[in-house]
Amino acid sequence: MFKKGILRELYDSIFAKSWPMWFGGVLLAILNILLFVIKYPWGGSGGYLNIGQNLFGSMGVDSLGTSTAINMHTVAILNIMIVLGAFVSSLFSKEFSIKIAPKGELVKGLIGGALMGIGSMVGVGCTTGGFFTGVPALSGGALFLTAGFLIGTFLAMKYILWEMEAFPNVSMGKSYTFLPGTKEGMGWQRWLAWILLAGIIYVISGYNAEGSAAMKILGWHIIIGLTLGFILQRSRYCIVRAFREPFMTGESSAPVAIMIGLLILIFGFTVLKYFGVGNVAETAVRAIEMKAVYPSFWSKALIGGTIFGLGMTIAGGCAIGTLWRAGEGHLKLWMSILGFTVMAPVSKVFIVPVFESFLPESQKIFLPDYLGYTGSVLMVLGFILLAYIFVKWNEKTGKFSAL
Amino acid sequence: MNFDQSLDCKGLSCPMPIIKLSKAIKGMEAGQVLEMIGTDPGSKTDVPAWCEKTGNEFLSMEELDGETKFYIKKK
Repeated sequence: MFKKGILRELYDSIFAKSWPMWFGGVLLAILNILLFVIKYPWGGSGGYLNIGQNLFGSMGVDSLGTSTAINMHTVAILNIMIVLGAFVSSLFSKEFSIKIAPKGELVKGLIGGALMGIGSMVGVGCTTGGFFTGVPALSGGALFLTAGFLIGTFLAMKYILWEMEAFPNVSMGKSYTFLPGTKEGMGWQRWLAWILLAGIIYVISGYNAEGSAAMKILGWHIIIGLTLGFILQRSRYCIVRAFREPFMTGESSAPVAIMIGLLILIFGFTVLKYFGVGNVAETAVRAIEMKAVYPSFWSKALIGGTIFGLGMTIAGGCAIGTLWRAGEGHLKLWMSILGFTVMAPVSKVFIVPVFESFLPESQKIFLPDYLGYTGSVLMVLGFILLAYIFVKWNEKTGKFSAL
Repeated sequence: MNFDQSLDCKGLSCPMPIIKLSKAIKGMEAGQVLEMIGTDPGSKTDVPAWCEKTGNEFLSMEELDGETKFYIKKK
């Protein structure tokens, strides 16, 4: 028999304190590489779009495009499982409670989510698919999307600081907290977490028992989505933070954590693309090379990225950051999910064509087609090095940080 | 713990607690103590990190059911 103390120690090392964000970056990068191999690398906005289209479809609105059923759509499954994974993880760590922010904040969540819905459709991608995945996938559009995220975050940060001074009441007022974890003993929260885990395993076995390759791929997306949510919540992995922190406190830990994830992904994706690995569904080598390279180069990416950057900073979570915080019980981020889910399909049909009517035509640009693999990887590594020097220099001098 | 001013950040999520904390500390005098009450789990690492970065003294943290109280002394 093992001693109770050992398991308790294990439990505490996982749940007593948040993990360092860079550790989350390493784990998320590994899972993203697995997703690449199984089907397609990680993204978020496609899942919102799918769920939104299904939602409108169920209300009889078909003009916004029909879509795969939610339980058959890999990205929608990942998104839902990230919420559940974060929910389970926050129950275990007793960090879950229903946190209802003041009214003004809830409205900001809704608007931020709506802006992300628009931005991700115009720019073709969010901070996950377009940046965390897109940059190491050596997509040209991803570089412009990243520039857009920076511009949007910078502007929104200015807005938030102005709002604090001019309208402090927006973030003040009645707030409520329900169902918090109690300090002593197991509590209902941990029991619920175990029951949920058992239920999820039952669902996965249902997918896998069906036998077809497509269903097994979906089954694996449930497992990986759950794990992503868990890691995201424990490490509080936040891409908004990485973009925002240089302009706020100046701390470099969040940007560096994302850079570590990017470095691992550049290695992983480049090897997979170079050798054309990832043939679960027998994809052609060229199709593998073009994974996560979207037709957004360059103007759509820049403008969409800026809109998205505004949205994610106002909401306080990007497509993925919104999901795991919602799982933790923040109502503001549920409002962001609502705004994103409604606006993604609406803007795909009504807003994207407006931008396309005056912007130069955007293309899929795979950097190695122009610079070779070596040149592309060196260029991206160069950008990361520059970003590193900037955030470290800014941390010391505080030149760009407002707080 | 004795404090001079209290700041309610309940219900707020990142980055609002840190922005409010920064603003509140700016309006205080050196040596005064601020009590901050929040519900965002992220604040448990963010508040001490912010104090270290800005040189304000992080005195202590008290976890109650669903909310955390932080005590910060302005430098």
